Amino acid sequence: MRSQVAKRPMDILLVDDNPGDARLTSEALKDGQVESRLHIARDGAEALDFLRRKGGFGSAPRPDLILLDLNMPGMNGRQVLAEIKEDAALKQIPVVILTGSREMDDIVRTYDLQANCYVTKPIDFEQFIEMVRSITDFWLTTVQLPMEEN
Amino acid sequence: MKQRSRTSELIARPEMMAGEVKQTSELFRILFHRSPIGTYIVQNGVFRLVNRQLAYILGYDDDELIGKPALGFVLAEDREAVRENAIRMLKAGCSLGYEFRIITKQARVKWVMETVAPVYHQRKRATLGSLIDVTERKQVEERLKQITAEMQRSNTELEQFAYVISHDLQEPLRMVSSYTQLLAKRYSGKLDSDADEFISYAVDGARRMQILLQDLLEYSRVGTRGKPFALVNCEHVVQQALANLKIAIEESGASVSYDVLPTVLGDEGQLVQVFQNLIGNAIKFRRDEPPRVRVSAGRRNSMVTFSIEDNGIGINSQHSQSIFEIFRRLHTRDEYPGTGMGLAICKKIAERHGGTMSVVSQPGKGSTFHFSVDMAGGESS
Repeated sequence: MRSQVAKRPMDILLVDDNPGDARLTSEALKDGQVESRLHIARDGAEALDFLRRKGGFGSAPRPDLILLDLNMPGMNGRQVLAEIKEDAALKQIPVVILTGSREMDDIVRTYDLQANCYVTKPIDFEQFIEMVRSITDFWLTTVQLPMEEN
Repeated sequence: MKQRSRTSELIARPEMMAGEVKQTSELFRILFHRSPIGTYIVQNGVFRLVNRQLAYILGYDDDELIGKPALGFVLAEDREAVRENAIRMLKAGCSLGYEFRIITKQARVKWVMETVAPVYHQRKRATLGSLIDVTERKQVEERLKQITAEMQRSNTELEQFAYVISHDLQEPLRMVSSYTQLLAKRYSGKLDSDADEFISYAVDGARRMQILLQDLLEYSRVGTRGKPFALVNCEHVVQQALANLKIAIEESGASVSYDVLPTVLGDEGQLVQVFQNLIGNAIKFRRDEPPRVRVSAGRRNSMVTFSIEDNGIGINSQHSQSIFEIFRRLHTRDEYPGTGMGLAICKKIAERHGGTMSVVSQPGKGSTFHFSVDMAGGESS
């Protein structure tokens, strides 16, 4: 069993087709309190490959947290979320929906699909940075998560 | 039944004196043939008596029509409805007219309105009909219907358009804004002073555009994302608006009072928005003295009109219409911040509630904004 005391960097998987947002997220994490490694998947299929260590992701770590965008070309965020939550090996990983949408319909549907929380990307830059930090602080330091047996 | 006796009085009866007969038939001739209403008697389905106006409407000479089946002049698709209407009217006595199409001798289609009544003609049951040509009115109505439908369609399209652009432009703009801010944060003071200035203008422009887009989005949401109407207590609405304005009220030392306010049919969230905008404006556009705002309401027929009166800087009457247009501002951003969208949103909300917005003002003394909602009205699109 891994000890939480020995601080290893946390692995975060960001699934977002917008490289601008991916970079902003990594900038926000740089100066954050949590030491983390950000992995980026550009679409839903790539995200699932990463999580299942398929197709070039053979040595991918199991992420501690998934940040998932909803609107992506091809397999969208809802489909990725549904796959994760139906997969016994993945469903315990917390999934934070991080999207531009504030439509109630999107919010309800993703919670129905067992999203762990839903966050609308703030329009303001400072708030965006703040949001990324508070999410990672909360999910990676405040809450207790089940530990993976190695 | 009344019709029958009146008609028969105009027809010579045996007991009349010769002079009387002559007078009566003269009167009949004038009333019947000079009438601007097409008039006729139909018996066993065929014309027995027609006046000139009827012949004129149908495009025939009067004598050509006698003995012809009346329904033959009705457009084939309308015949069944005309027959049913006639039967219904004859049973119920005279009532409202009904409209249908006829074909003239010249093969023109005309819209007419007809009323019929049961009469006796030569001691046998007959139908007395009156008919007027309503083709022109129908055409105007059709055109109006078309225009209204077109306007509704283009309105919906425009709203959808405004929604989509303001929504979809926000994503790329967020990138511009975020990365110019990141540049400013990381490189300010590290490049030369020109660079700092250029970056600050880029940051400021992007930020302003974000606010414009958000306001435009809010404006387009009035129609596309409104809630169904319910009964709303307007005192609660004003209290909610005041709670949202708490900081502005405290900072300006404003006193806001409100009368007993009615319950209306509307969208509560949008009504809060209107009062918040109007009271907020009253506080924002204040003179040196602390703002005093009074909210009152009056009712006339089904319209409830709210008045928001202030002692602020006022508005020149030449602007009393244009201030309700989108992005309309009367001051520079340095004097009074804002996008100029607030009153346009208020007006749109008033219109959705079947009402209007207006302002009466004395520059330097204060303004009173009036905002009405229709209690009887459902939502108007």
